This record gives sequence, C-alpha cells and structure tokens, in this order.
Amino acid sequence: MRVLRVGAVACVLALLGLLVWDLAHQSGPGVAVKVDKGKIVRAPALNLPRLTGHGKLSLASLRGKVVVVNFWQSSCYPCKLEARDVAAASRAWAAKNRNVVFLGVNAQDLTGPARAYVRHYGVTYVNVRDALGSTWPKWGVTGVPETFFVDRRGNVVPPHITGQASRQQIDAGIRRALAS
Amino acid sequence: MKLVVAALAALVLASPAAACKQQGSQAYLETRLVCIQCHTTLDESDSTFAVEMKNEIARQIRLCRTNSQIIDSMVAQFGPAVLSTPQTHGFDLIAWVLPIGGILVAAAALAFGARTWSRARESSNSLLLDDRLTAEDERRVDEELARFE
Repeated sequence: MRVLRVGAVACVLALLGLLVWDLAHQSGPGVAVKVDKGKIVRAPALNLPRLTGHGKLSLASLRGKVVVVNFWQSSCYPCKLEARDVAAASRAWAAKNRNVVFLGVNAQDLTGPARAYVRHYGVTYVNVRDALGSTWPKWGVTGVPETFFVDRRGNVVPPHITGQASRQQIDAGIRRALAS
Repeated sequence: MKLVVAALAALVLASPAAACKQQGSQAYLETRLVCIQCHTTLDESDSTFAVEMKNEIARQIRLCRTNSQIIDSMVAQFGPAVLSTPQTHGFDLIAWVLPIGGILVAAAALAFGARTWSRARESSNSLLLDDRLTAEDERRVDEELARFE
C-alpha cells in the first residue's frame, strides 16, 4: 500500500512538473501584438532551410541590414494579390539600397506549389521553408500574408502588416526600419 | 486494319497509371496522412490545403509511386507530423510503448492491491479465530454467569 501511495504521489508531482514546464515555455502572444502597440521588439530567431537551393538561412546572418520578412503560402489568395508588388519592391530596393533585403517565409505548404508560386510571381529574393509553421507562435503570425520589418540591429519595428501589403506600406515600413 | 488502329489508340489513350505494376491507393493514403494546417486526416478534411495534398497524392499515384514512396515524400517535406499514426521506431515508439506499459503497470498495481487486500482480510479472519476464549476466561465467565442464576 505504501508503494502505491508513493507511486501515486510521484505521478501527481510529475504531472505538476510537466504543467509548470509547459507554462514556463509558452511563447506568449508573439512579437506581432507588441509591434502593433508601437513597441520595438527583438526579432525571434529564424533559421530555416531555403525553399530553393540547399542549406539553411538564418535571420541573424542578415544582421546589419533591414530585412522585410514576409510570411506566405502558395494557396493563399491575398498572398497572390500582393506577390508581384512585394517582388517589385524587393527589386527596386535592391537597386536603391544594398542594406535592404527581403526574406520570404513559406509555411505549411507543399514544396512543389511553393516553388511554382515563386517562379510564377517572379520572386527573386530568398525564401525559406517553415514546413509546420513552427515560427508562427513566436512571431505572432495568425494567418498569411503577414509582413514584418527588422531593423539593422535585429529588432522588429512597427508597422506590422496583416493581409495584403501595398507597395506604399512596404516602402513606409522600410523607411521606418532604416531610420530606427 | 481497324483492329490494329483500335489497339494502338487504346495503348495511346491508356492512362499511365494503368501501366503501373504497383501504385499507391488514394483512399489508404488519405487515412495515413494528416492535413498540416487543419490537423485532421486528409479523408476528413476538405480545406484548401487538404485538397492540395490530395492532388499531390493523386499526381504521385499517376507517376506509379507506391504508398510507402508517397508517404516518404510527404515525411521528407513535413516530417513525421504528417503521419496520422506515430512511427514504430525512434522517439515515436514511446507513443506505442507507453499505453501498453501503462496497462501492464495498472494490471500489476491491481494485482498487488488485490493481494494486499486479501492478505489483510485473511489476517483479520485469523485474528477473529484466535479470539476464542481461553480455559481461564471460560472459567471466569462461567463464574460470573453463576452469580446471576
């Protein structure tokens, strides 16, 4: 009987420990909520395999540059609507300022349609693949498309664009990040 | 001549899948794979992404890929999370072992509890049996009762 009692207490303690661990490791609302309140937040880590080509790309490797981070899926209609504008903005800024780069994050998508999307919309900037959308909670992404602006020091600065981004919004976001 | 033309036409028109020695089953694969966005098996989902995954399965079936080849290609893209049942090796093995282990532990605990309980009952019974009066006590009881007579 004593053994059973000890076992039951151990089980309860283990479950309690698991609960505490889970609460301690929750990522919270993500940076999107804070950025929407006008705050400047440290950019969560991004280290993902490239959608086309080999190897991984880390956001940290782009430190010193303003990075436009665009989350998208090939089946998402607003993503398709903004794709050409985002691609055009990336080309225009690449010609204007080498310290501005674009980074696409393709999430929860099939590689075939995702690669076809990139070709179809003339996307020339680097895209990485987040197969399960594991980066979404830390960034606070709730749907696609969403666009963030990371300044040269690796901080996410307002604005944060949810839904289809216009060329004007993208340009304004980049200017704000450059000035940060 | 007509027969030859018909045979040639049939060969040309025959779907590539018909020429497959082995090919995957759409119905089977839809129960084995999970829609990554909606977290249900593909056969239970009609979301845009589930439909895309179903189309991809159909495309691979047309290419004469087998069930295991198609499953492997999906696992290569999404990892084991795309499977509706955990794998039987590596870390996923825990998902299979844990319930069986739990049942065994529960059975052992029940057996142990039942044994402890039956032993406790036996010893209480034996205590009752040992509660018989000794000769001395019987003599004293008889004496006490004799006073009332």
